[in-house]
Amino acid sequence: MSYKNQILKWGSICCLALCMLSACEKEKYINESGNLVPRTVMEDPALPSINVNGAKLHAQAFGPVDSTLIICLHGGPGANFRYLLNCKSLADKGYRVVFYDQRGSGLSQRFPKEWYLDHGADAIDKTFNNDLNDIISHYKTNSNQKVVLLGHSWGAMLATSYAGKYPNKINGLILAEAGGLKWDDVFKYIGKSRSFKLWSEALNDAAYLDQFMTGKENEHNILDYKMGLISTSNAIIGDIKSNLGVNGNYYKSGRDGAVISAAMLEIGKEYKPDFSEGISQFQPKVLFFYSGNNKAYPDSWADKITAAYLNKEVVKVNGVGHSGMFDQIDTWTTFTEPKVIQYLNSL
Amino acid sequence: MKKIKNLGLLVLLIVQYSNTNAQTLNWKALDSTKHIVSVNLGLDYSLSYGLSYGYKLNTKLPIVLNGTFSIASGNTVFDDFKTKIGGQVRLFNKSNFIGAVSIYGVYRKYQTDLVRLQNFGSDMKGTIGYYKPKWFVAAEVGFDKAIVTHFKHSQQFRDEIYADVVDGWYEPATGGNFYYGLQAGKSFKRADITLNLGRVISQDFKTPLLVPYYINLGYNFRF
Repeated sequence: MSYKNQILKWGSICCLALCMLSACEKEKYINESGNLVPRTVMEDPALPSINVNGAKLHAQAFGPVDSTLIICLHGGPGANFRYLLNCKSLADKGYRVVFYDQRGSGLSQRFPKEWYLDHGADAIDKTFNNDLNDIISHYKTNSNQKVVLLGHSWGAMLATSYAGKYPNKINGLILAEAGGLKWDDVFKYIGKSRSFKLWSEALNDAAYLDQFMTGKENEHNILDYKMGLISTSNAIIGDIKSNLGVNGNYYKSGRDGAVISAAMLEIGKEYKPDFSEGISQFQPKVLFFYSGNNKAYPDSWADKITAAYLNKEVVKVNGVGHSGMFDQIDTWTTFTEPKVIQYLNSL
Repeated sequence: MKKIKNLGLLVLLIVQYSNTNAQTLNWKALDSTKHIVSVNLGLDYSLSYGLSYGYKLNTKLPIVLNGTFSIASGNTVFDDFKTKIGGQVRLFNKSNFIGAVSIYGVYRKYQTDLVRLQNFGSDMKGTIGYYKPKWFVAAEVGFDKAIVTHFKHSQQFRDEIYADVVDGWYEPATGGNFYYGLQAGKSFKRADITLNLGRVISQDFKTPLLVPYYINLGYNFRF
């Protein structure tokens, strides 16, 4: 049999096999919400949401409405609040605990990358700080109600930025592992926390995926899915699978926000924001956690970052990684929460 | 229907172009060659190791059929791999300037604790360069397309990320990347040492890739 005939024979067999395989299934579209990523509040009206500053955000609040307000700020930019849900137990202790997915993150409304970039140097103020301002206004029921920001990683940077800008609107700051507060430090931390070895499984898992999926700039469903696959584990920062106990039931399907993550990185590189601006005006004590297992966050780095705060208590949480002080229910219950309550009582 | 059309196109590509090849070749050093076995190491999205076999057809227009298997580095050896079947054909040869095209059908697999992806795609490349029996240098430009991909998610993905994720074959084409760069080589009596290097960019020319460059060092043994 000639080469051509052999090729045609095997080609036909492959064609038939693939067609039979595909004909058995309903077509699925990669860029359709609900298939590879959960629907956002724009597509699923059953999700709890609020409208603030021109955006619809996925948000939930627990606890007595008039008590001290604790606003939880997740990391990223581009993560979601699910991993902070152990903090919900503060509602049982009498606090009003608010969780929300930041603009472009989690299950909140998406915006195109240009929307963020068009704000230029004001992007952080006009999006994150103004959103937070409106969220506090939305949940605050009276002028005497205390407001405390609880921020993790990027959320701690955002909380610091907000408290520096509006020091009189905030009564307390509970922070954990802000990567940096000045842009150069942020950039250094990003580099250290992602310094995978060239031959490692982690880098391979992240990079090899690029030949299977390449979403275009604003194809949120594809880009968010990819980000979810590569951001779930990172041995350098010591994170392991979240243990949320029954708290996980309040947010079953998580989703990352790849476009806002990329946009904010570009804005950071171009305008080099200083998240510590004005924080020296903030008088109340800051409670700052950092972990023992994050190799990119040694004691010296914690000392450097917390130097910006006037009045602070710095607490090292041994045995966990970057998010462990919040997302490991045992650590939260036995170590972090008692420290947090002690701090709240001191305000 | 669209998926069947895509699959048909894929198979058409494989069938139509399976008389071409994947190795980096010195067209001026193939005269008495029938078989080419190659090993290579390089950055191909991630650090990868590959093994190829080529068979030169006895045709008027030089054609080399080729099959390639490569694995990505990491702790788990066969969780990520890529196979290519196709070949390359020399289109013209004028005063040592040679132009060639290569087209491959691609099957690749990606597996982590969260998901297993299986993809059928195509990789098309054109080269033009200056070739002498002892050395060559050429420019290359190509397009690597992920045509149809099957997703199978683990229980860990469903527990930690999205419980209702839908497994199965997905369309439209889930990805595509352009690449362009240079290839060069030094040839000996029965062997070549080759180098390819260049840049990879996603099909919208905007979205950055994690490793936006490729570099590949190869050794061909001809007999």
